[in-house]
Amino acid sequence: MSAVVSVDLLTLAPVLAPAAGAAAVLVADAAVPRLRRTHLVLAVVALALGAAGTIGGLGAAAGDVRRTLCLPGHPDVCLYTAGPAASALQLAALLGAVVTVLLAWPGELEAPRGRTAVTVSLVLAATTGATAVAAARDLGSWLVALELATLPTIGLVALRGVRAAISGAVALLTTSLVSFAMLALAAACWYTATASPLLAPDAALAANTDPARRAVLVLAVVLFVAGIGFKLSLVPFHAWTPEAYDGGSLPVTAFLAGASKVAALAALLVVVRAITPLGAPVLTAVAVVAALSMTLGNVMALRQDTVLRLLAWSTVSQAGWVVLPLATVSAGAVEASTAYLLAYVVATLTVFAVVAAVAQLRGTRAARTLTAYRGLLRDRPGLAVALGLGLLSLAGLPPGILGLVAKVVALRPVVAGQLWLLALVAAANAVLGVAVYLRWLRVLLERPEGAIAPAARRAHPAVLLAVGLGALALVLTSAAPQLVLHLVGG
Amino acid sequence: MVAVLLAVLVVPAVAGTGLVLAGRAVRAVDPLRANAFALAASVLTFLLVVVTVVARPGLDRPWVPSLGVRLHLGVDGISAPLLLLTAALGVAVVLHARSQPPEGGSVTTFYGCLLIVELGALATFLVRDAVLFFVAFETVLVPMWVLISRYGDRHDPAARADASGRFVLYTALGSTLMLIGILALVHAAGTADLTALAAGRGAGIDRGTQTAIAVLLVVGLGIKVPLFPVHTWLPPAHTIAPTAGSVLLAAVLLKMGTYGIVRLAVATVPQGFAAVAPVLGAAGVVGILWGGLACLVENDLKRLIAYSSVAHMGFVALGLASGTATGLQAALFANVAHGVVSALLFFLVGGLKSRWGSADLRVARAALREVSPRLGFALVVGFAASLGLPGLVGFWGEFLAVYAAWSPAVGSPVTVFRVLAAVAVVGTALAAGYSLRVLRTVWAGDRDAPALADARGPELAVVAVLVVAVVGLGVLPGTVLRSTAPDVSRIAVEAVR
Repeated sequence: MSAVVSVDLLTLAPVLAPAAGAAAVLVADAAVPRLRRTHLVLAVVALALGAAGTIGGLGAAAGDVRRTLCLPGHPDVCLYTAGPAASALQLAALLGAVVTVLLAWPGELEAPRGRTAVTVSLVLAATTGATAVAAARDLGSWLVALELATLPTIGLVALRGVRAAISGAVALLTTSLVSFAMLALAAACWYTATASPLLAPDAALAANTDPARRAVLVLAVVLFVAGIGFKLSLVPFHAWTPEAYDGGSLPVTAFLAGASKVAALAALLVVVRAITPLGAPVLTAVAVVAALSMTLGNVMALRQDTVLRLLAWSTVSQAGWVVLPLATVSAGAVEASTAYLLAYVVATLTVFAVVAAVAQLRGTRAARTLTAYRGLLRDRPGLAVALGLGLLSLAGLPPGILGLVAKVVALRPVVAGQLWLLALVAAANAVLGVAVYLRWLRVLLERPEGAIAPAARRAHPAVLLAVGLGALALVLTSAAPQLVLHLVGG
Repeated sequence: MVAVLLAVLVVPAVAGTGLVLAGRAVRAVDPLRANAFALAASVLTFLLVVVTVVARPGLDRPWVPSLGVRLHLGVDGISAPLLLLTAALGVAVVLHARSQPPEGGSVTTFYGCLLIVELGALATFLVRDAVLFFVAFETVLVPMWVLISRYGDRHDPAARADASGRFVLYTALGSTLMLIGILALVHAAGTADLTALAAGRGAGIDRGTQTAIAVLLVVGLGIKVPLFPVHTWLPPAHTIAPTAGSVLLAAVLLKMGTYGIVRLAVATVPQGFAAVAPVLGAAGVVGILWGGLACLVENDLKRLIAYSSVAHMGFVALGLASGTATGLQAALFANVAHGVVSALLFFLVGGLKSRWGSADLRVARAALREVSPRLGFALVVGFAASLGLPGLVGFWGEFLAVYAAWSPAVGSPVTVFRVLAAVAVVGTALAAGYSLRVLRTVWAGDRDAPALADARGPELAVVAVLVVAVVGLGVLPGTVLRSTAPDVSRIAVEAVR
């Protein structure tokens, strides 16, 4: 029996475009081997088409959502449902992937060289998963999309081929398997408890009234949160993050920090929408995870001397900030969380773009250490300003007003819910975060120690384009933070 | 007129950002040309501020509608003296840097950071929206951090890193706590408009919530003030910072803390503030004693003035805590007075430190009255004002603060406040002790070697204007008090009872 009555291809564009792009890249590679630029162009075009597809859903009024794949006889029950927040997450994932492709443009950052088709198609496949999971409303597509967003990243990390990459990929693989097992179990528990394949609040509420089903439901929720915790690098499920960040090539790490995180948060939000009515125990779990992530992430980031590990731990702590609003029952929690994630993605990708540019200027190996950034403000003022804006946005200090407003947005529901303890932990972590990012910023301002032998005279235009786009986005959204908040329908 | 109001912020923002960026793009910028540019920008800003203070234009338009944050700017009697002080000192620090050029990094970045600090302070005093207040409050952090960590004391890089790190982390903690307080306030009152919040007087917010909000705001802002025992960031920061940085820190940035307490806590949650007021007063008085005692034994002159700031700000806290209109008047006047006096003293000591090579009081040096009478005279005036000599600017704020504490707002624990007032008087005796100790060591005496260049040119101009201000405001305190009086009488805690 055909279960689906409506298929609206245009609505599905954010998912279909990267998927088609991945197929096109593979076909092109089969037809004409050893192409390079074609694949990159194909990827950017596909991602741009996908991004264009999200525009219709952005900033819509609450309740005005794009849906398709609706069930016959139930026009309200649609397997693909993208509200403003979901559309914004899709846009973030797609733009994050664009930045990854731009960073992979100069061959020397891509590893291994000459495997462009593979890299690009894996990026596109993972992006497809990320955009799909944001709009998935049933267990099946949710689980498949989330794994589609995860599995290609293992390959991407492993592709670099060096020892660190293999161990990073193994760490990622192991945690992905565990995480998948948990999520599969969670899905099974959910179905057992609610008898509904849909991740919908009314199903959860119905199950909540019956004590026997309630226990199974709570188990499902715990497993959901734990399984996604792995993907979002939340403490205590974060251990793979530094390994994988350090192991992968730069563009791949940027992808892990950007689009992958979007996918994980999107997956979490789908579940959170369904379970918030359950109330206190779930929220407490989220609050504890958020507080732990922030604290451990910041404390560990303070001790790192390589920038990728620093960024990895910074991701762990920012992930805590991202889920912070979800610890409340406030109506705007999902929007707040999404807005914080968007701010994080823009700032982090800008930082990664600068790291890639520095990798070209001062050598790939050198760019991984903090000392390579000494005197950057003097040598490369443009790069240094972009990096400074990105770091200050992550720290939440002016001139990175985007990050500051994001912190306000994330704290607001917490304060409104009178979770004073959580708010104070967040405040302490805001300070720790300042220490983390100023440590890097201080290096930029220092005088260069002697002349640093440049590895190249100038960075690749594609990388500089990524830096420029990131910096421009930061400046615009810092002047008018409403741009970001409007996207998520706040 | 709205254009003038916006220009007050746009001019230092554009000029400051331009200078920060230009230092790198243009390899060799003539230091004097950079100074001239910064001077022009700061003078223009000052003129714009004067026009704004006289004409009192207002601006109110949405900025982040999702959060209900509005770009709401305005001037009233409370902010007007602080705006003028900030803008005037903005000119003074740039002018003074002509005779004492910055060391340690690009000259343009230095002036750019000065202008951005000024921008943050002006914005803090102009905004009428609680969340925007937080944004403005944070703006000064990074440029001041750069000023201390890059342009601070050349002798000791480790101390520079420590001082700048402490400054930024303490103040970031303070402002984040303040943010939580602001968000709680905005959530409870349903508006972020400071004018509406002040008009509401905390109506509809229950006493417990008011107290929680007041605690968060007073602790958060108290770090910036700074109040004992969270003042420990201040002495190293003021000691290590370059002269311009010390002046802006002491004379402008500390004022943002007390101003914030008046605007955010006293005006909006008076009942909650009344509950924390005795603790605030006690912290202030402990600060007065602690600062005074530290000054008696401190041998680094710059650090000594930093500790004296802790003592002076203690009087401000005491005045605020009394909750009466007189107390608030005292606090706001002492705020301005400390701004003028500490600016004068930091200019003088910064100049002396660069001439002496250190600011150690134990080194035997030529008596200032013999070798550089102008610097010496200014120093006498500065310390005389600091010890609260009647007729100078330091007297009124502290006298009125003690007076207000003796007869606090109805409902306050009178005995506690009277004890606090009595102890604060002891603090003025300590101030006399350390001021005279410094003057005896560096000003009096008859050694006339080694010779010391006296103040001349821009330095003399800056010092002379500040000396005139110290005397002028001391003789005519009514100029400031009249400006603040109408607005203060509306927001004093006692007004609700």
